[in-house]
Formats: sequence, C-alpha cells, structure tokens
Amino acid sequence: MNELSFRCDSPVLDANVGVGHRHDRPSPVEDAAVLLAEMDRHGVDAALVYPVQGEQVSALDGNDALHEWVDGADGRLLPLWMASMAPESLEQLQQLHASGLVRAVRLHDTTSTSTPLTSWIYGDLLAWLQQEDLPLWISLADNDPVQLADTLSAFRELRTVLVGAHYTHAPYVLSLLRHLPRSCLELSRHESLGAIEDLVTQVGARRLLYGSYYPRYAMGPVLWGLHRQQIDSRQLQRILDGTARELLSR
Amino acid sequence: MIADAPVIDFHGHVGNWESVAMLDEPSPMLHAMDAAGVDRACVFNIFHPDGRRANDSTAAFVARHPDRFIGFAYVSPMMPETIEAELTRAIDDLGLQAIKIYPPYTVFPLDHEAWHAIFAFAQERGLVILSHTDDGALSEPRKLGTAAERFPGATFVSGHSGNIEPFRTQAIEMARVHDNFYLETCSTYRQPGVIEKLVAGAGSDRVLFGSDQPLMDPRTQLGKIITADLTDEEKRQVIGGNARRLLGLD
Repeated sequence: MNELSFRCDSPVLDANVGVGHRHDRPSPVEDAAVLLAEMDRHGVDAALVYPVQGEQVSALDGNDALHEWVDGADGRLLPLWMASMAPESLEQLQQLHASGLVRAVRLHDTTSTSTPLTSWIYGDLLAWLQQEDLPLWISLADNDPVQLADTLSAFRELRTVLVGAHYTHAPYVLSLLRHLPRSCLELSRHESLGAIEDLVTQVGARRLLYGSYYPRYAMGPVLWGLHRQQIDSRQLQRILDGTARELLSR
Repeated sequence: MIADAPVIDFHGHVGNWESVAMLDEPSPMLHAMDAAGVDRACVFNIFHPDGRRANDSTAAFVARHPDRFIGFAYVSPMMPETIEAELTRAIDDLGLQAIKIYPPYTVFPLDHEAWHAIFAFAQERGLVILSHTDDGALSEPRKLGTAAERFPGATFVSGHSGNIEPFRTQAIEMARVHDNFYLETCSTYRQPGVIEKLVAGAGSDRVLFGSDQPLMDPRTQLGKIITADLTDEEKRQVIGGNARRLLGLD
C-alpha cells in the first residue's frame, strides 16, 4: 500500500447504497457477498442499503426484497426501508417497525412518480416518522427542493438526511440546511470545489455523512476525497460514521 | 505529487458562473489542488464566443500562478471571422498552450466543417484540442473521431470520455482507431469500473486525469483514479504522465 492505493483504516458507514435491480437499471451487484467484497476493498465496515426498486415503482416490493440483502450479512448491511405515497406503504413500515426492524426510512422519487411532496399527500407518513423519531432519507435529485423545504419545515422535529446534492444544488444547499435545522447532508454527489470544508465550517461535521450511492457511483472516490479534506480527524470520523451512527441509534 | 508522480489536471474552468457557485478566483482551486496533490491544472474560459474576452481572462488567471496553471485558448465557430486571428493571439501573444472547444454552446456538430478552421490551426501548430464530448448530437465522440482522422497532425482529447454509455464506449473505440485521440476522465458519472474500462480499452498511455474544477472538486475526481483497480504504473500515467508528454512539459 502506498499513496497510489487507498483503503480506509478507520470505521466507515456508507449511508447510501442501493441494492437490487431497478425496473430500468439492472444492478451489477448480484448479491450481498459481492457488495460486501466491494466494501472490504475500500475498508467500509457497514452500509445502509435501500432497495432501488422502491425509487420509482414499488416500495412495497422493494422492501420485501430487502430482507434477503440484510439477513445473514452479520449486521454489516443495515436496512433503509423505502416509503411511497400509498397508505399500504405506511402500513408496511408500521408492521416492520413493530417487529423492531426500522431504524430509518427513505422516500421514493416524487418527481418521476408525479406525486408532489406535500403534506396533503405525505402528511401521515411524515407525522408517523416524526412521532417515532425515525430519520427520513430524501434524494434532492428526485424531489422538488421547494416542495421538500416547504413541506418538511412543517414537521419541525423530523430528522432528515438530504441525499445526492449535486453541483446544481450547490448554490443553495447551505440555505436549505439552515432552513431545515434537523437535516443532515449525505455527500456522495456533493463535490463542488471546497464544498465539504465550507459545510464543516458553516454547519459542522455533525450534520454531514459519507455516502457513495453505490453502485450508481463507485464507492472509493468520495472516501478518498474525504481523507484529503483540510478538516481535523474528529470531524473526519464524524462524517465517516459518527453522524450516521447517531442518526440510527435513537 | 503523489508517490513522487506528478499530477496534472487536464480539465478546469475559469470565469464566473454564479448559478453553479463558480467564481473566477484561483485560491480555492489552489487549496483543493494542494490538498489533493495536484501539481498543475489546465484551465480555460468558455463563456465568450469571440474568444478575446475568454482568453484574456484565462491568461490573467494563469499569470497569477504560472507555475500551477496552464492556459488553453477558446474560440467558437459561431463567430468564424474571429477564429484564426484570435487563436494566433492567444497562442503566440498570451502564451496559451492548447485549445478548448465546447460544442453545446454552438449549433455545429463536431464533424461539421464549421470547426475545420480550428482543427486546421491546431494541425498546423501541432496543438492539442480538448473537446467536450457527451451524448448530445453536437458532441458525440465519433464525430470528434472524424476530426481526428481528417487532421492527423492535431491531437484530440475527448473531454469526459463521452460521459455516459454508449458514448463512453464510442470514445474508447475512437481512441483505438485513431492514434491522435485521447480520453479524459472528469465526469459527474462515477460508476464503478469506468476508469478501469477506459484504461483497458484505450491503453493507460491514452487516458488523462481531469477534474472539471471548480464545478467539481479535484479530490473526488482524483479519487476515481487512486481507488481504481489499476497498477501503480498505470495510475502514474493517467494522473499526470500522459499530460506531461502531450503538453511537452518534460
């Protein structure tokens, strides 16, 4: 191992990994063993995994399939259950929660499904998550940011993780984090120049967390990039796994 | 330097573009370059079709840190009357060292004769042309390949290597067919295995690291190379060795 190679040697939790085949995007990752091998290659201890089938078509089916990924992974693959607008989706989540299986939930793609992210559609789901103190992952790329900001601000105690911010979001990500003080930002696509150091200064590492968006994106580049940030080791560790562990531990 | 290997970023922008948080200021780029281990970055301004204002901006940017930045000239076939004189001024008077073109800011596909004046200039001078390539009808890699075949005395670099499939594969095929066709790596699409595919398909001596800074941070983009499944020697070529050879920096 030299500077031309890299494997993280401190604890890492990847907070954004998609599993399974999507209706329009077959996955190159066949099963949990392949995913775990890729995690080992980069030194990633654990990953929060969500079923990509739930992004646009069916959270119900996706969640059913998620069991086979997390079962038998020795706790290294943690479930991020999908939620859609359907009442049946909320009922499924409530049943899973009653079984002690839910620590976090991810919202489906409201843009492609043409279901505006409003309280009169998603209010029951958001109220339940807030009541149960379950954090909600939301893709900035898949949800209208105005609807997201306006709707979530009505649920003041709801903890959220904003996923997939891109350079087109860069001009207002800081404003959005300030508007939603209980939100955190997942960093898989947030790679504008100096953006991570700026956010550490402005909102603190406590509100930032590493994610790769694997296998949509490679697992290693952001991880290597994080180790080249001019931040102290505690801030780095917070981003690598501290923030995610805290979100999932309540 | 990384492991005593020079690192040259082949793709960077200067100029102001507020809606993506891009400002014409070298210090944030230098900060990220230092943190990443990037020695020098190639930069250009693509926002002014007459070329003059763009190239003056690039030259002024480079002049502030001539040991760290390498300027590329910009002209557009949308203003054909300016091309030859402005390229002559940019190369001979301003000291810019290669040419950048950006088809999406024109109405001409890369195989249209409107580009020939630029290609002929590069051929006469033995210059490198970096062109944006992607899935758009104007910017397909195969159309840049047409130029590479017609102007063998110039060197063509496929910016973003076509960006997505099947255009990435098309770019690789052009590199296989044309000795004067190279691939450059910057892209927001960081799928697993992309760098390995470029190197396997075109050869490690034909792939150039680029970041697209300041739209993207060189730390994440360089991380694509460092965490790729390549040999150390292949990585040395991609992160800077090939760029040094192409630009005559040895």
